[in-house]
Amino acid sequence: MLLARNLKRIAARSPWLYRINSGSCNGCDVELATTACIPRYDVERLGCQYCGSPRHADIVLITGPLNRHVKDAVLRLWEEIPEPKVTVAVGVCPISGGIFRESYAVCAPVDQYLPVDVNVPGCPPRPQAIIEGVAKAIEIWRARL
Amino acid sequence: MPTELVVLVSVLVFPGGLFAFALGLALKGVDRRVAARLQGRVGPPLLQPAFDLVKLGFKRTMVPDTAVPGVFLAAPLIGVVAMALAVALVPIAGVYMPDPRLGNLLVLLYLLSVPGIALMIAGSASGSPFGAVGFSREMALMLAYEATIVLVVAAVGLRTGHAEGQVVTFSLAEIVRHQQEHGAYLLDPVMWPAVAAFLFFYPANLGIVPFDIPEAETEILEGPLLEYSGPALALFKVMSALKTVVVLSLGIALFCPVAPDGIAGFAVWLAMMLGLLVVGISAVRVSIGRMRIDQAFSFFLKWPLLLAAASLTVVVVV
Repeated sequence: MLLARNLKRIAARSPWLYRINSGSCNGCDVELATTACIPRYDVERLGCQYCGSPRHADIVLITGPLNRHVKDAVLRLWEEIPEPKVTVAVGVCPISGGIFRESYAVCAPVDQYLPVDVNVPGCPPRPQAIIEGVAKAIEIWRARL
Repeated sequence: MPTELVVLVSVLVFPGGLFAFALGLALKGVDRRVAARLQGRVGPPLLQPAFDLVKLGFKRTMVPDTAVPGVFLAAPLIGVVAMALAVALVPIAGVYMPDPRLGNLLVLLYLLSVPGIALMIAGSASGSPFGAVGFSREMALMLAYEATIVLVVAAVGLRTGHAEGQVVTFSLAEIVRHQQEHGAYLLDPVMWPAVAAFLFFYPANLGIVPFDIPEAETEILEGPLLEYSGPALALFKVMSALKTVVVLSLGIALFCPVAPDGIAGFAVWLAMMLGLLVVGISAVRVSIGRMRIDQAFSFFLKWPLLLAAASLTVVVVV
């Protein structure tokens, strides 16, 4: 029991991040990139790594208002991520639709379709806010392991 | 101790198996940390690769509908086993000499190409188009760099063989012993082109920028590894950690196996491994971008091959 708990504590130090752009204006995506690429906001010190494949992911970062055209693809992609996983909505678009709300072309809010665990509002959110969101997601993820 | 037991220990405990596993993960950790520092970042903890492995142990392994399940799951195992055997074949000067029955340099060459083949099998068995692209790139790159290492090994084998009064020797133990008595090949001008060729070979063999073309994350999403998750992916990470140990250690055994006996020799060996890692891998991969597959292919068939051939020609003629 103790060993399993310790191993889980260790496992929680290696959350791999995966970005899904569900029709975002790219603003939030640029901010996400800064958390990895700019020395000032290095997420790798938390053990995070942006990975290219949904199969490798632990924490999913969704940006954009979930356009009608990409909705099915996003849902399918989300299904491809092995459990246990945590979903983070980055930016105001996946939370409420942001400036695109009430448009016929968007399906926001995202949590109608996916269980969103952490919201990081902002247009776009600051990198510090994104990192705080990721830190919160790690806490939730540790409980799910 | 009966010799069977000695062989078993050298494959499972030291220097193969457990020791190589721990060392490989530590080298990967140092590499990530140094790369981060060179970019001005804080970087992950040194034990990050170990944390990653534990994490992958908790995840589910998903097998895609399009995959061939048996082959898909066996590929990483083949790679790991080949590498665990390969570590036991490489001598550490003053510390470890492999049992001749384990095999010689030629066996090691074959084992070294197994991880590449495991990746190819993985890519094609996963049924993913990205895996298929990774498969073709891995194969092209392998064709390009294998010729170089064969010529380098031939040059070293012939040089040692001539000096020892034979035609050629492929026994790593003999090559190491010869250099311990007559000085390292690193200080022998005839071998300098071969050393340079080896320095080009090992980033390609380890799949590191600028030669990480088969697993290019930004283009083909890690190619053959795309469909792997959980423990199966962890096995590939172990394979790549072990391979780092094998290739760096082979470089030291071929060109600079000069060290005092016992614990001091071990420390010297570790220091050389770290030096090769930091200078040849971490510093290179943060300073340049990835080559295209056609660029890498023609590059390998030109310069490293030419360098290795130059060494070989001089060794044969002189």
